[in-house]
Order: sequence, then structure tokens, then C-alpha cells
Amino acid sequence: MSVGDLLGLLVFPGYAFLLAMAFFLEWLDRKVLAKIQDRYGPLRVGPAGLLQPVADFVKLLSKEDIVPRGASRTILTVAPILMVALPLTGLLFVPMDGQRALVAFEGNLIALLFILVATTLLVFLVGWSSANIFAAEGAMRSALQMLSYEIPLALTAICPALLAGSLCVSTIYERQAELGLPFVAFLPPLGAISFLLFLICSLAELERVPFDAPEAETEIVAGWMTELTGRRLALIKLGRNLSFLLMASLMASLYLGDPITPGIPWLAPVAFILKVIACAALMSFARGLVARLRIDQTLRVFWTYMIPASIAVILITKLALALLP
Amino acid sequence: MHFNTGACNACDIEVVAALTPRFDIERFGAIKVGSPRHADILLVTGPVTRESRPRLERIYEQMPEPKAVLAVGACAISGGVFAGCYNVCGGAVNVLPRVDMVVPGCPPKPEAIIDGLIKLLNKLRGRERERR
Repeated sequence: MSVGDLLGLLVFPGYAFLLAMAFFLEWLDRKVLAKIQDRYGPLRVGPAGLLQPVADFVKLLSKEDIVPRGASRTILTVAPILMVALPLTGLLFVPMDGQRALVAFEGNLIALLFILVATTLLVFLVGWSSANIFAAEGAMRSALQMLSYEIPLALTAICPALLAGSLCVSTIYERQAELGLPFVAFLPPLGAISFLLFLICSLAELERVPFDAPEAETEIVAGWMTELTGRRLALIKLGRNLSFLLMASLMASLYLGDPITPGIPWLAPVAFILKVIACAALMSFARGLVARLRIDQTLRVFWTYMIPASIAVILITKLALALLP
Repeated sequence: MHFNTGACNACDIEVVAALTPRFDIERFGAIKVGSPRHADILLVTGPVTRESRPRLERIYEQMPEPKAVLAVGACAISGGVFAGCYNVCGGAVNVLPRVDMVVPGCPPKPEAIIDGLIKLLNKLRGRERERR
């Protein structure tokens, strides 16, 4: 391993950059929500409140650490660490600098999907071992929700993989440049529908509005996070921001490739990061614009509409690939 | 975190107003949270009734250190017009071990609540400096 590789892993597009990006996306999320609600959002810490998420993180690190009686100390210690480590690992599979990702092997899309499932299982573990009725309720809802979105998410992610003929995230992104066709524009509106399905599944995966029933603060306090304090909460919040970044960058790399930018060395990272920010802003808009679904409504929406729709999209894609030259 | 110990809802409406677009307390980085475990500041409104006293104490104890208490409204300070009632133990000031800042008024304006919060934050910052 050379010095360049190490620098790439640690600084750009590696860990330091990813963490900065995660904090930036939280700021973006809060600002977008505030703008939609005609507010200012964070203003005081750093320019335009940019450092607010960092300040919150540091504050949480210094707070008292409480593990309630009856809760599992082991799980509450290990799970937050894993919840940061898993999305960080997943982010290495994504071509963050618009070129080849740091870890690019055939089939890493499948590995990524596995990482997403593992994160949700950790959510369930945290909620279940918190020894709190609200946390347990949140954990049950989270598990139920996973049963609904996981299948359409995996099915929809297959669609760009089919188009590119590869299961490697980097290769899929590069294929779009070679073909000169972002997959979101494939056979309109088929690609756009696939993108939309992926967006909705991402919202459910990230437990964001309208699928935030697992942490609905108006009914079950803070859901599975209710009992977490201090460092554990700080890590979990960071992990959730990283997952947010992961889903946004996955969306950008699977659907929003373009023929021009990957060829130009300085433009490629800028363009990719702008795409990621656009995808993240799209998810933040959803937070301001729609109301929360009940957990049974979430299940019904996914099992009656999303799964058939994602299967149909795959079938039509396969058909189109067979018929078109 | 906001806890209503038996207020007439006037203060609560003003507290909610402080969160909404016109006043937007998030400018200062403050967010209303649901779980006492996530809270730094306990905002109390209303006179503390006998019924709500154990709950108030429990919520205070559930919050992780370092924590602060902001009492909003005349009732939370002294019981207000309800002081001396058979079912009222006075204000949060009389019940909790520590109240860091009070915002008088019946109800106080949202500007006053924000002012109280900022003064409380400055006070906490000063306390931190002393510790160093």
C-alpha cells in the first residue's frame, strides 16, 4: 500500500472527507427543512450555522453516560460503534471522487445491500436491549418496516446493475459515462420510475419522513433511541448521517452518471459531490412536504404497490435490453 | 425538553410560538426533543401540582448531566395565581433541586423566552469557564 493509497483512505475521498460530508448533510437537512417552514435554521455556530452538527456532536460526547437498569451494556456499547463503522465501510464502495471507488470489486452492490440490512438489525438490537417500552416499540416497528422495504430496495438496485451488466457500484457509474446515458433517463420514464422507487425505499431505509414511524416523537418519545445518552447517542446520530450520505451517494452513482465529467480529473469529484448533495436535498424536501405514515400503512404501501412495481420495472428493463440492440 | 406540570396552556402556546417561523429558536441551535435522555435543558411551565410533582422529579433525574432548568411563567416560578391551592406544591423553583433561569410573565412573550434561553446559555458558558 503506497502513501497515496493511505492518503486516499484517510483524507480524500476517505474517512476525513466522509465524516465532514456527513456533518454537512445534517446541516443541509436542517437548513432545507427550516427554509421550507420559512425559518432560518441554525445560524450561530460557524458561518450560517455550518458547524452546528459538529458542536452538537462534541456536546453529546461530554454528556453523562447512562445505561438503564436491565439494559444490556454490551449491546449498547457495541451497536453504536458498528452503526458508524458499517456505513463508513459501505461508503468506500462508492466512487466518491467520481472515479474508481477505493474498494471496487464485482458484487460489492450486494455487499452494500447486506450492510444496509445489518444496520437495521442493529437498530432492532439497540431498541430491544434498551429495556424501555418505547424503545421496544420503536424496534418492533423498525423490524416490521425492514420486512417491507428491503425487498423492493434490493429489486430496484438490480435495475441499474442489469443495465450496466455489472454488480460493482463503480463499474455501474462508469458504464453510464461510456454509454453516455444516465440510467435515470433510460427509456423514459422507466429509468425515472426506477429512480423514484429507489428514492422511496431509501427514505424507508433511513427511517425518514414519511416512514419515520420507528422514531415517531409524537407517539413513542424517540422510538428505539429513547434510552441513549452521551457518547452512544453521538455515535448513533453520526452513523445515521453517514447512512444518509451512503444512500444519497448510492443514488447518485447508480442513476446519475454522465458522459462528460468523469473524463476531467478536477471536475469529476465536484460533479459527483454536487449530485450527492442534490439527492440528499431531495430526501430533505420529502421531510418538509409529507406527513408520517402509520406503520401498517407503510407495510400496505410497500407490499401492495412497491414490490409489484419494482418487479415490473425489472421485467420491462430485461425485456427492453433483449429487444433493443 | 418541555414539560407542562399543570399549566393553563398559555405559556405552552408561547413556548411553541418560540419554535415556529416567526421566532425560530433553532437559530441558536436549540431543538425540542421528546426523550429526557436526549435533553440538555428542561423547560418547565405551570404550577407543580401534587399529581405531576413525582413525574417532574423523575424526568429531571432521567436527564444526563450536565443539565439545566428553565422555568417559564409566573406559575413555574412561584405557583402564580395558584400558589397556596390545596393541590399545588408551588412552582418548579420550590420542587426541583436547582432552577438555573426564570422567565417571568403570565404568559411571557416568545421574545422573553428566547432571551431567557440565551441568558441561560451564557450562564452555562460562564460556569464552564470557571471550571477551567
